[in-house]
Amino acid sequence: MRLLPYGPRAVLAEFSTLAEVMASSGAWRNGHLAGLIDVVPAARTVLVVHDGSLDTALLVPADAQDVPMPTGAATTIDVDYDGEDLAYVAAVCGLPVDELIALHTGAVYTSAFCGFMPGFSYLVGSPPALHLPRRSSPRTRVPAGSVAIAAEFTGVYPRESPGGWHLLGRTDAVLWDDARDPAALLPPGATVRFRAR
Amino acid sequence: MITVESWGIAGSVLGGGHAGRAWLGQSRGGALDRAALALANRLVGNAEDGAGVETSGGLVLALHQAAMVAITGALADVVVSGGPAVGWGSPVVLPAGSRLRIGRLLDGARCYVAVRGGVHGAGDELIVGPDPAVPAATEGAPRRPLQTTLRVWPGPRRDWFTASAWSTLLSTPFTVTATSRVGVRLAGAPLVPLRHQQLPSEGLLEGAVQVPPDGHPILMLADHPTTGGYPVIAVIDDADVGHAAQAPLGSTLRFAAAR
Repeated sequence: MRLLPYGPRAVLAEFSTLAEVMASSGAWRNGHLAGLIDVVPAARTVLVVHDGSLDTALLVPADAQDVPMPTGAATTIDVDYDGEDLAYVAAVCGLPVDELIALHTGAVYTSAFCGFMPGFSYLVGSPPALHLPRRSSPRTRVPAGSVAIAAEFTGVYPRESPGGWHLLGRTDAVLWDDARDPAALLPPGATVRFRAR
Repeated sequence: MITVESWGIAGSVLGGGHAGRAWLGQSRGGALDRAALALANRLVGNAEDGAGVETSGGLVLALHQAAMVAITGALADVVVSGGPAVGWGSPVVLPAGSRLRIGRLLDGARCYVAVRGGVHGAGDELIVGPDPAVPAATEGAPRRPLQTTLRVWPGPRRDWFTASAWSTLLSTPFTVTATSRVGVRLAGAPLVPLRHQQLPSEGLLEGAVQVPPDGHPILMLADHPTTGGYPVIAVIDDADVGHAAQAPLGSTLRFAAAR
């Protein structure tokens, strides 16, 4: 881990792997560190935002082999697997559609980090057979609730937006609710399953 | 109640925003020049992060009830019909039936109107909140001059740039070529990166000075994306981010090392 400067009220921790990011960001968020305002994981980094009083020497990396078990039950997302790219993804992965759905619903996912828009979570845990690069040309309009995959990630679009991921299906789950705490349905660290309906 | 007869340019009701939600993908939001909104609120006796109106000019408010207001941020052409004049930084009670027009901005890019009790509501009808227990200011505030030199700290990817890029940042002027709630785009002597590999997206801070491959920096403001893939060479001191948001299109900004 390297700590990179980001002014008097933040520091950027850089890691080699996403597993290290997830372990340390979870430990720091739950570590009751004085002065902490936000812990923002990303693909290889954790941005730690504070009020100027945080002792950054307390930011020691957590053991990536020793990720604490999630405290809550898995959040289940009910999906209509009728996405525009379902047949294409099945063909590229060399799988019948029902087997593709069985693989996607059979995995247990973890929310690694959020980004792109409020409540958009990058979920890891999909079987390697479903890892494929994003679309060569993004769509200008992806409907809200779309369940989509790109590279090692699965995501659910909280609202309509442009997007370059492959669309597998749709859900009615509310990914972002200002009145909820936390407002995101799938905050970093959350355990997630998909269920076909 | 207050009717917004015209929102003008980029007019909206907002407060201090929500810090601490970047991990969920939401940046702070709220007032771009937080100090200006906080001052307007203090002048009328509200909590500093209470909701007021932010505008870049062209706002027209029709008051259906008497209300105390204060205007801060950029200097603006302000016209009141049916009530007393409202100067910059002084709380004034406007009677029911009066109209407050914020015309052209004269120096900055964002002007704030606070109303005693705060405002809320959807659409063009604003409800004035209950009278706060705190008395309003008895005298006006001195005007805080708008800074065109912003203090910066080294950012996480300063080592992705040549040493001369850092001195270019601190010694040459930059012109504002675009400004929005997301950020300020600048043009000047390009900041040349040493590396050209792609950076996996990483957390962005309000005030981050991000440098895309063309070398022209972008300053991140309240509605910035929570992550970004361009290297961040520097970060503007928290106290100066509001000044970045106040820089009008075409104006000049400079940077100085914070200490």
